[in-house]
Amino acid sequence: MAVIEARGLNKTYKGKTAVANLSFDVHPGTVTGFLGPNGSGKSTTMRLMLALDNGGGTCTFDGRPFASYTQPMREVGALLEAKPFHPTRTARNHLRMLAAANGIPDGRVDEVLGIVGLADVAQKHPSTFSLGMGQRLGLAAALLGNPHTLILDEPANGLDPQGIRWMRDLLKALAAEGRSIFVSSHLLSEMALMADELVVIGRGRMIANGPVAEFTNRSRGNHVTVRTPQGHDLAALIGHRLAGQGSVQAVEPGVLQVVGLDAQAIGDLAFDNQIRIHELATQQASLEDAFLEMTGGAEEYQAQTPVAPWRQGPPPGGPQQGPPPGWMPPGGAPPPAPPYAGPPQGPPATGGWPDSRGGQP
Amino acid sequence: MTSALKYEWTRLTTLRSTWWISGGSILVGVGFTFFVAMVIQLNTPTELVDDVNADYSRFILDGAMTQFSNIDPSFYLLAYVVAILGVLTWGHEYRHGMIRATLTAVPNRTAVWSAKMVVVGAWVGVVVVVSCVLSLLVTLVWFSGLSFEFDLGYLLLAVLKRVAFTVLLTWLAMATTVLIRHQTFSLVMLYLWPLGVETMIRLLMLAMSGVTGNKDLYDTTRFLPFNAGGRIMQNWQGDFQENLSTFGEPLNALGGLVVFGGFTLAVMGVSLAAFLKRDA
Repeated sequence: MAVIEARGLNKTYKGKTAVANLSFDVHPGTVTGFLGPNGSGKSTTMRLMLALDNGGGTCTFDGRPFASYTQPMREVGALLEAKPFHPTRTARNHLRMLAAANGIPDGRVDEVLGIVGLADVAQKHPSTFSLGMGQRLGLAAALLGNPHTLILDEPANGLDPQGIRWMRDLLKALAAEGRSIFVSSHLLSEMALMADELVVIGRGRMIANGPVAEFTNRSRGNHVTVRTPQGHDLAALIGHRLAGQGSVQAVEPGVLQVVGLDAQAIGDLAFDNQIRIHELATQQASLEDAFLEMTGGAEEYQAQTPVAPWRQGPPPGGPQQGPPPGWMPPGGAPPPAPPYAGPPQGPPATGGWPDSRGGQP
Repeated sequence: MTSALKYEWTRLTTLRSTWWISGGSILVGVGFTFFVAMVIQLNTPTELVDDVNADYSRFILDGAMTQFSNIDPSFYLLAYVVAILGVLTWGHEYRHGMIRATLTAVPNRTAVWSAKMVVVGAWVGVVVVVSCVLSLLVTLVWFSGLSFEFDLGYLLLAVLKRVAFTVLLTWLAMATTVLIRHQTFSLVMLYLWPLGVETMIRLLMLAMSGVTGNKDLYDTTRFLPFNAGGRIMQNWQGDFQENLSTFGEPLNALGGLVVFGGFTLAVMGVSLAAFLKRDA
C-alpha cells in the first residue's frame, strides 16, 4: 500500500504565493483530512500533487510521481471537480472513456456505478444530474481502477445527509483496507468523524499536521470550568501552578476557566488547600473550535459582519482594550495571549507538528 | 500513447455531437452536389448525353465529387463544418472542466495532445472520403447520360487534396482552441478569419496596390494562410490552371500546401508548447 509523500510543494500566481513549501505524508490505512479556509490553497495543492499545475516541489505515490504512471487510475483515484464530465455523454460512457485509457474492463464500470448508487441512471446524461449525483459519478471515476490511493477535493459537496454518511463509511472502509485517503472538506463535523490525521493550511502555508486528537487537544478551547465560592484564592493557586504554561480566567463571579491543568490536578490542588469546589467540568474543544482558532487570521477572504449605523462607534466609556474582564494573570504578570505552539518534535513530513504557524522546523 | 489513443477514440465516439456534425458535414457536401447536379440535369436534359473528353471528365468529376471546390474553394463548406469537431474536441475539455479528468486518466500531456490530433484528424479524413465517394455516386446517377473518361489517379489525388485541406483546417482550429481555451471564440475565429480578416486584408492590399500602382502588394496576399489553403483545391479560374510555379501568382497546389500546412504546423507547435507549460 502506498504512502503519499509531498515535499516542498509551492506555487505562485503572478507573484502571489498560493502554496508555500508544503511538506506532509499521507499514510496507508488512514484518512487524512485536508483543511484550510477558502482560498488557502487546498485545491491548488491537490493539483500540484497530481501534476496538473506547474509548480515547485515533488509529490510521490509509492515513491513515483503521478505523471510516471502509464495507468494512473489503477494507482491513484482523484476527484477534483464538482462535475467533471461532458453533460451529454452518459455516465457509463464517461467511465468507459476513463477505463479505456487505463486498461480497465467495462465490467468494472458497471461495478463502480453500483457502488456509488448510480446504476439506475448509468445511461442518463449527467446534464440532468444533481450536484450530489455528480459527486457520486466523480467518486465512481476515482474508484474505477480500485486504486490504493484516493485524493478527493470536497467530495461531500452537494450530498444529502444520507450521502454524507455513506461517503464517510465508504472512505473509512477503504482506509481500513490499507488505502491512503487524502480528502479535503469544509464539513468539520464530518471530518472529525472521519479523519485520522489532519493537514491544516492557511494562505498556502502549513499550520498543523498530525493526528486529529493532537490537533484538538492543543486548542485553547480545551478547558476546565471550576465553580467555587473561593474563586480568587483558587485562581491564585492555579496561576502559580501553571507558571505561564496556561491560563486561568474568571468568566463570572465564582466561575473559573482553566487552560493547562486537567480536572484531576485542579481538584487535588483545591483539596490540598481546603478550597471548596461546587463543580469541576472538563470541556473538550471540537475540531471546529480548534480549526477556527488555528486558522484565525489566515482566511484569504474575510467577511464583515454588518453593523447597524446606530451601533457603530465606541461603547460608553471608550473602547475596551486589553484582556477581558476577570483575566487572572498567572504569577501576577499579564501574559501574552497564549498562542498555539505544538511540540516541535520530528519533521512534519512524517506527521509531526510545525514549530509555529506557517513555518517548518 | 496507446492509452491516449484509446481514451480519445472513446471520447470522440461517445458524444452525440460527433455523429451529428459528421453526418451533417456529409449531408451538406453530398446534398450540395445532389442539388447542383439535379439543377443541371433538369435544365439541360438533352445536352448531357454524350462522351466527355479526358480534360472535362477530370474537371466535372473533380468538381462534382468535391462540391466544386476546384472552381472556388469557399464552396467546400464540408471542411468548415467538420472542423467544428476540432474546436469541440478541445473546447469541451476547458468548457466542462474535463481537462483535469483527462490528465488524471492520461498524465502524459504530449500523448494527450498528439492523440487528439491523430484521432480527430483521422476521423475528419474519413468523413471527407465518404463525402467524396457519395458525391461521386450522386453525380453519376444524375449524369448517367454522359460517358466519362475516368482518370482514377487524378480523382484519388483530388480526394487527397480535400483530405489534406480539411485535416489541416481541423488541426488549425484545434491548435487555436488550445491557445485561447474558449470554445465560442474559437468557433467564431474559424469563420471570421478566412471570411472576414483575410478578405479585409485583401481589400486593403488591393486598394493600396491601386493607389501606389504596385501590383506586387496585392500579389503578396497569395501567402495569406486561407488564401493559400484554398489553392490546394482550386485548379480552375476560367481555364485549366496548369504548369503553375510553386510559389508564383497564383500558388499551385504544392505551394498552397506548403504555406497553409507550414502555418498550421507553426500554430500547432505553439499550442503544444502552451499545453505542456500551462496549468490544467
